[in-house]
Amino acid sequence: MSTSTSNVHAHKAEIFCRDESRVDWHSKALWALREKRDRAAGSIPEWEQLRQIGSEMKLHTLTHLAEYLEEFEQNCIKNDIKVHWAKDGAEHNRIVHEILAKHQVKKIVKSKSMLTEECHMNPYLEERGIEVIDTDLGERIIQLAKMPPSHIVVPAIHMKKEEVGDLFHQKLGTDAGASDPLYLTRAARRHLREQFLSADAAMTGVNMAIADKGAVVVCTNEGNADMGANLPKLQLHSMGIDKVVPDLDSAAVLLRTLARNATGQPITTYSSFYRGPQDGGEMHVIIVDNGRTDMLKDKILAESLKCIRCGGCLNTCPVYRRSGGYSYNYTIPGPIGIAVGAQHDDTNSIAWACTLCGSCSYVCPTKVPLDKIIHHHRRLKAEAGKLPYGKSSYMPLVGKFMASETALNCSMAMARTALKILPGSLLKPFSGAWGKYRELPVAPNSSFEAWFKKNRG
Amino acid sequence: MKIALFIPCLVNQMVPEVGIATLELLEKLGHQVILPAGQTCCGQPMTNSGCFNEAKKTTLKLLNAFKGVECDAIVCPAASCLVAAKENFHEFDDSPEAQAVIEKLYELTEFLHDVAPIPAFSKPFPHKISLQMSCHGIRMLELATPSEQMGPRMNKFEAVLAAIPQIDIVYPDRQDECCGFGGTFAVDEGAVSAKMGKDKAQAHAATGAKYAVGFDPSCLLHIDGMVRRQKLPIETRHIAQIINAAL
Repeated sequence: MSTSTSNVHAHKAEIFCRDESRVDWHSKALWALREKRDRAAGSIPEWEQLRQIGSEMKLHTLTHLAEYLEEFEQNCIKNDIKVHWAKDGAEHNRIVHEILAKHQVKKIVKSKSMLTEECHMNPYLEERGIEVIDTDLGERIIQLAKMPPSHIVVPAIHMKKEEVGDLFHQKLGTDAGASDPLYLTRAARRHLREQFLSADAAMTGVNMAIADKGAVVVCTNEGNADMGANLPKLQLHSMGIDKVVPDLDSAAVLLRTLARNATGQPITTYSSFYRGPQDGGEMHVIIVDNGRTDMLKDKILAESLKCIRCGGCLNTCPVYRRSGGYSYNYTIPGPIGIAVGAQHDDTNSIAWACTLCGSCSYVCPTKVPLDKIIHHHRRLKAEAGKLPYGKSSYMPLVGKFMASETALNCSMAMARTALKILPGSLLKPFSGAWGKYRELPVAPNSSFEAWFKKNRG
Repeated sequence: MKIALFIPCLVNQMVPEVGIATLELLEKLGHQVILPAGQTCCGQPMTNSGCFNEAKKTTLKLLNAFKGVECDAIVCPAASCLVAAKENFHEFDDSPEAQAVIEKLYELTEFLHDVAPIPAFSKPFPHKISLQMSCHGIRMLELATPSEQMGPRMNKFEAVLAAIPQIDIVYPDRQDECCGFGGTFAVDEGAVSAKMGKDKAQAHAATGAKYAVGFDPSCLLHIDGMVRRQKLPIETRHIAQIINAAL
């Protein structure tokens, strides 16, 4: 925690927690999604089977990834789709820019892509004179506010409608003080329509890539991906290598769980399959690795690539709901953000931003063992000598302590006495952080062991 | 049955009343109970932090305390310590002797539900209790179906307590959401941990129950600290204390 204390999760979370009513509001809004998810999942008798099939199918695809990706590429080519391969974010951005530059694109409309966030594509293109317009309502809101997403499915969940009203008043000229969601949505719709009509190209993320059809699936609730892809002649789709699935049946399994687990809807309003360019147009698919192959090498980390980005783990996570998306020091927050982002976290703190409660693993529609992955990240960090919060100084001490009855008994006897006579003086660092928010435990007179010796010995 | 008690450091040092209640209730049920010497900690504070090197000596010390001990079951009144012991024993020792110990490990609720059920309670417990569904017991030890999971539901924790005459069992809102203790999380991530604990303590108090009852002393210690800080009209109790009072 030497160089970037302010980026440490606990520190950012503490700042977020200072406004308790906002924390409550944030937690409640996301818990409402969890409750909707429970109702939607519970409405399908075969829910747990779908999770099992989804998990097995994704694992199968990941263990035969090269074959499925090649099959996907060949079928794309047959469908007149141009396929590009990018080993990392920089290469992805360069490829996208080359395509756009060739077509002299000045403005591109974009929809639903955490991958382009991961690659930091927007600033890259903007520096090169290309205007990038995010077209999902939530993404457009945070783009106008010059913020990154704070959630992978509801990216502006941290903003209240009054704040959106102020932002729209400044940027889109809506009435001052207006915060009616319907009014604001209509204003956004008018504004976005102008963008769609004046864009030279469209770009989307990919929810699934179907190997045997050479098609990509894009799910939105607002139809904006379709507006984009169907208006300009040039369409681009960016996908991680983990998005490929064998066939339509596999995609169908994931489509049944994706929206139910995300927002509690039976299915996203628009689940569109693109399998070729418009007449006279061009369709490009950019397949990105960006560290995914490395994750595949570790059996435990590999399972995080089963994720279909429903966001269910964020909604259920008690830590995410109370610390906010910006505390994670990574583009993707919450449990899945830790799973795929811990290795990029130079504060080495996000792997510990978790109580290991396991709720995320049970909520996950493809059974990503998130708590096990997070725990594994901690071990990898510890083995690399990268522990947060001064753990490297006190953990060996704790280890020695716990292994010695004498040390433990003596110190705890002292602690019990201390608790009785001087509350707040328990062994550091325990008492400070504990006692700041909680009453210290009421100390018993003796240990159980001593009681046992006296009464049963 | 002959039962060896596994009393984790937290119970031994900070809540001996939980150990005493566990011992007494098992004796009332006719079991012979022993306390093998040399137990300190299951290693969880270290392994949960990723520090496996630091955990090895402690874990093996605990394992050695049980190796060769003649008994039918090893019973622990703390779910998360039990889970950690199982996993850590396995991690650091793959000998048949270690496996023999692992196979005898039971959390108290699990033992009373699966292995040696209580034939009958002799006293009523005429109080409303709010169940604290702690994460490791629910999601790793399968003491109850987690709320995230669909399909048929079971709850060993409730089943054991529901047999007590006149007991009134309720649940807090967000039934099995984590209380925020999380071992070192409570001190490393103080603000979030405390907010989680506060919400949990308030949810238990809002049920109007007299006691928040759990099977994991560490969560109870956390909730108790939040309850007293906020002066909420509820107290925490361990399941062993409730059962012992009704036998």
